[in-house]
Amino acid sequence: MIPQPFDYYAPATLREALAMIASGEHKILAGGMSLVPLMKLRLALPEHVVDLGRIPELNYIAESGGVLRIGAMSTHHDIESSAAVRAHCPLLAEAAGHIGDAQVRNMGTIGGSIAHADPSADYPAALLALETKIRIVSANSDRTIDAAEFFVDAFTTALEPGEIVLELQAPVEDQGEGYCYEKVPHPASGFAVVGVAVRVKKAGGKIAMARIGITGMGPRPFRDSMAEKMLESGTEIGQATQSIGQGEEANSDLYASGDYRRHLARVHAARALRTALTRAS
Amino acid sequence: MKLTGSYTVPGPRERAYALLQDPAVLAQCMPGCEGLDRIGENEYAMRMKMTLASISGRFEGKVRISDANPPESFRLMVEGSGKIGFVKGDGLLTLSPAHGGTSVRFEGDVQVGGTIANVGQRLVETTARMLIKRFFDKLAAAASVLRATESAAD
Amino acid sequence: MATTVSKPDLLVGKSIRRREDPRLLTGTAIYLDDIKMPGMHHACIVRSPHGAARIKSINTKPALDRPGVAAVFTGADIASLGAVPCAASLPGLRVPHHHLLAQDRVYYQGHPVAVVVATDRYLAADAADAVEVEYEPLPAVTDPEKAIAAGAPAVHPEWADNIAFTFHQEGGDTAQAFRDAEVIVKQRITSQRLIPVALETRGVVADWRPGEKSLTLFSSTQIPHLMRSLVAGILGMPENLLRVITPEVGGGFGSKLNVYAEEALMAFIAKRINKPVKWVESRRENFQATIHGRGHVDYFELAAKRDGTMLGLKLKLIADLGAYHQLLTPAIPTLSVLMMPGLYRFKNVTADIVGVFTNCVPTDAYRGAGRPEATHGIERMVDMLARELNMDPVELRLKNFVGNDEFPFPTATGLSYDSGNYAAPLKQALAQAGYPELRTEQAQARKEGRLMGIGIATYGEICALGPSAALPAGGWESATVKIEPSGKVTVMTGASPHGQGEETTFAQMAADALGVGIDDVLVVHGDTAVVQYGIGTFGSRGTAVGGAALFYALEELKAKVRKFGAMMLDTDSVTLSGGACVDEKTGKSISFAEVAAAAYHAKKLPPNTEPGLVSTHFWEPPNFTFPFGAHLVVTEVDRETGNIEIKRYIAVDDCGKIINPLLVAGQVHGGVAQGLGQALWEQAVYDDTGQLLTGELTDYAIPKAHFMPWIESSHTCTPSPVNPMGVKGVGEAGTIGCSPAVVNSVVDALAPLGVRHIDMPLTPEKIWKMIAQGGQA
Ligand SMILES: Cc1cc2nc3c(=O)[nH]c(=O)nc-3n(C[C@H](O)[C@H](O)[C@H](O)COP(=O)(O)OP(=O)(O)OC[C@H]3O[C@@H](n4cnc5c(N)ncnc54)[C@H](O)[C@@H]3O)c2cc1C
Repeated sequence: MIPQPFDYYAPATLREALAMIASGEHKILAGGMSLVPLMKLRLALPEHVVDLGRIPELNYIAESGGVLRIGAMSTHHDIESSAAVRAHCPLLAEAAGHIGDAQVRNMGTIGGSIAHADPSADYPAALLALETKIRIVSANSDRTIDAAEFFVDAFTTALEPGEIVLELQAPVEDQGEGYCYEKVPHPASGFAVVGVAVRVKKAGGKIAMARIGITGMGPRPFRDSMAEKMLESGTEIGQATQSIGQGEEANSDLYASGDYRRHLARVHAARALRTALTRAS
Repeated sequence: MKLTGSYTVPGPRERAYALLQDPAVLAQCMPGCEGLDRIGENEYAMRMKMTLASISGRFEGKVRISDANPPESFRLMVEGSGKIGFVKGDGLLTLSPAHGGTSVRFEGDVQVGGTIANVGQRLVETTARMLIKRFFDKLAAAASVLRATESAAD
Repeated sequence: MATTVSKPDLLVGKSIRRREDPRLLTGTAIYLDDIKMPGMHHACIVRSPHGAARIKSINTKPALDRPGVAAVFTGADIASLGAVPCAASLPGLRVPHHHLLAQDRVYYQGHPVAVVVATDRYLAADAADAVEVEYEPLPAVTDPEKAIAAGAPAVHPEWADNIAFTFHQEGGDTAQAFRDAEVIVKQRITSQRLIPVALETRGVVADWRPGEKSLTLFSSTQIPHLMRSLVAGILGMPENLLRVITPEVGGGFGSKLNVYAEEALMAFIAKRINKPVKWVESRRENFQATIHGRGHVDYFELAAKRDGTMLGLKLKLIADLGAYHQLLTPAIPTLSVLMMPGLYRFKNVTADIVGVFTNCVPTDAYRGAGRPEATHGIERMVDMLARELNMDPVELRLKNFVGNDEFPFPTATGLSYDSGNYAAPLKQALAQAGYPELRTEQAQARKEGRLMGIGIATYGEICALGPSAALPAGGWESATVKIEPSGKVTVMTGASPHGQGEETTFAQMAADALGVGIDDVLVVHGDTAVVQYGIGTFGSRGTAVGGAALFYALEELKAKVRKFGAMMLDTDSVTLSGGACVDEKTGKSISFAEVAAAAYHAKKLPPNTEPGLVSTHFWEPPNFTFPFGAHLVVTEVDRETGNIEIKRYIAVDDCGKIINPLLVAGQVHGGVAQGLGQALWEQAVYDDTGQLLTGELTDYAIPKAHFMPWIESSHTCTPSPVNPMGVKGVGEAGTIGCSPAVVNSVVDALAPLGVRHIDMPLTPEKIWKMIAQGGQA
């Protein structure tokens, strides 16, 4: 990596880190899997970099009171392999396992991923389907918002200068829920051309609850509540997924047009739902 | 890269048109714009700082308005270049009365070059759309403010 | 000279593990970027961000003012040096003067404009950012067909039509063949531009020694000796004062079969600043400034009788050459023409090449170099003809193959196929696949609405490049074998292996020939001061030509060892075996080391024999070799998404005799991976202004390990009469057989929808659209 020169800070406590970034002039470094490539290309030119990697209090995964709490510095690998995540939010573990490659999963963090808000990132689909809350702190504030409010646009989040993602809070999934994350990876980058995360609950052979989060298709991840409602009111999967992404903007790039992405979202939502149903009891 | 879109701006067409010709308004609405200096008839030098996620870059360039056909349409040309690449956008803006204000339709061609074009394929279109959207959001806000001050003055 | 002693442990033919691997796998190999020298400076190159532009001004002062900057060079500084060389020559070829740095214009994105030299790499990169270049962008053209259309911008202002050359070749009477035809099949077929993506990018270290007036150039290259001659020429320095060393090379695939501006530039700069200088290419530079491959648009016409007899073939080939000629750029499409008849008995062939300048980085040899394009074309055409005739594609191929009794077979393109049994690998592949059962399964799948495809491609390739008459700079290869006084053996090959594994196969050959253990043999290559002149490794020639040179060098040396052994054992019939010279009659033996010592101590010499044990052989091949094979691919296309799944991949390759099956398997696997890359994922895309849109690995999709199907690889063996070992070459086979087999398979899957042809890469969206539109592209 040949970036421009920058100052590097490695605070040992959260307090110290928040004080450092309060001015909004400092760039946070977490796993570096998004920031470092941009610095290497000299597209990101931060002058001050604050590494959160030496702050142990940001790296934890724990369940309490029906909520799974995940520290921002938990790596994708931590999440993929955590017994607590697998037991309480298996959808999130499944999505984590789809991210990049082993090296990326060993370095990259969930806090970094959502703060970066890449429109093709995997987590957001699962976080929306899980109705996760995100706790955000700064030197003098502490707030908790819904994931749906957090993702504003491509690469744009509700984070204000001086704020960091502290924790993700996911309600523990009920016993017997079915889940599935389906991903169409870009053959070059491995990012999601489209990723669909679903959760379902069955009752009396019918879908009693459905959650569908979609990433990659448009500039920001979204939940398709219309399809969810149709499923919950008995519409068959094929039909309920026909309208997914309607009215949402869809991205185009060299590899896949917006129309194709929308189509993939529908096909893979249906497939994910079917898999989830087979996993539900 | 062809881009089209349409946005609604509050207020009548004449006013929306006038706003879009006003360099002060343009400077305020163009994402990251740090200044527009008149260098000729309907032509301005532009300085811009683009920040998106971790990416940041300074651009210098030009903004030009041509083919003025008030209050219906005009062409807007924006070009800028900096260390991270260069961008050239050329679009026809067509204004028509719409429910609740003026609909501004944008039909343009955006060319991107340099690093951002070489490494940002996955993102250029999304980003371009987003920047255009931000422009119109700000324009709509500016139009509302203007309307508010006008009605206060009434 | 029959050897009657048993040969319990001959190594040739065995799967010996690569002797190169331990150092590669443990990270102890020395690559170019590992080289450090006292006082070494670092260069960073300022490149054009535009596809075409006039350079209005360059201001180097802001860079020069930065800390650690030793110098900045621009076009003016090197204008009097020689040009980047093109070794290929064709009648009427237009050769633009390819300066080491751009002069007043840039012709492609990545064109080097200035070089900044500083005390470390970071400072050099910062200073390169500070160089101010003012450009006036000019209209560009990046599509070869658009480039030759009327009104296209001229890449080089002096040649308005953008045509670098045209080339016509004709064998037989094609016009008559087409008049006799009962069926004519026509198709436009493209082989898209590819980026070779060697894992190790290019790099150069240049070390000037003022006292000796000599220069050592370390370069990650496939051709150290040719580089020495050519760089000496560019700089105007005596060739014997230039030494080229190739450290470990992390992949080349043809992209390092070249002499680039950077090699000469670093040599020039080291001398200028009187300090060693290093340049290592970034991945993005590698994409923009290292040669690309393919870039062919082919218009094929195939004439046949209704019974399937193929009569004639026409090809119009539009080759995207890029902005300049690199070492072999214009020669690559001519290789396509040579191989366009494939394995078939065509008597009548006509080809016209139009070589076209575009505002893109030059194309040149990339694994297969001209043959994958040709094979892809002919194998697609044969499948289309089979469809037209409602004939099984296997039957059509078998009907038209050159027969086993027809070798050496003179082709309509002027070649002489050395040996072959073309039906053998095809039949083996069919047997392995269970072809009739597969077709039954396919019929069933179709009934169920599933899209299953069976694709076959047979291929022939031209390898062991090649007789000197056919190559610009000699087609022979050299080997030296030395038996050291202690009995250890050193082999020096003029081929410059870089991943092919000749450190292993050549050691196997030497150990067998001399009857010593493989651990007693060292294979040395890639240093012009140590190794006798050689040509290099490319065109599947390393073993087939370099190995043959070694074979003869070994024969010569063996004879001399025997003389010493015979003298010492006082006999006249000696064999070399088990690390000893053995008297065949008495079984008495004397160790190899003792014989070696005697040859160097020279107390007593056999009659008419010089002291020492060294032999060098330069071997000129009498012909190319022509490996062949058949690949069979079973695919299933996902109707809903257009996604392609490869269910089975069967490769039966005939590369003649095999020295090391493990290494051959490695070559097949790697070749198939790159073939799949072209068939399914890879494509270099420039926009109309010359921006390379696939400028990094985030958008350019090379195959990853987990994309690979299981490859069922096996062989038939038809020895080549061209060289004494009977080998043919296998480095490119996988790449050549793969892409048509995959595309034939997918087209077969989509045939019920009326699909007849699809251009590569077969991206899911393309397939999905075809399905959605009922087969229309
Ligand atoms: C080869 C490769 C393949 C990849 N493939 C995928 C994929 O398939 N799917 C996918 O989802 N992602 C993928 N990624 C991205 C990867 O998941 C990153 O790890 C992730 O996007 C960023 O996390 P990070 O910890 O590395 O953050 P960093 O790169 O360190 O930081 C990213 C951004 O977030 C900010 N930031 C970091 N932590 C915080 C915090 N706690 N609060 C506020 N701001 C913060 C930083 O300032 C920076 O702007 C890939 C990356 C690579 C290199």
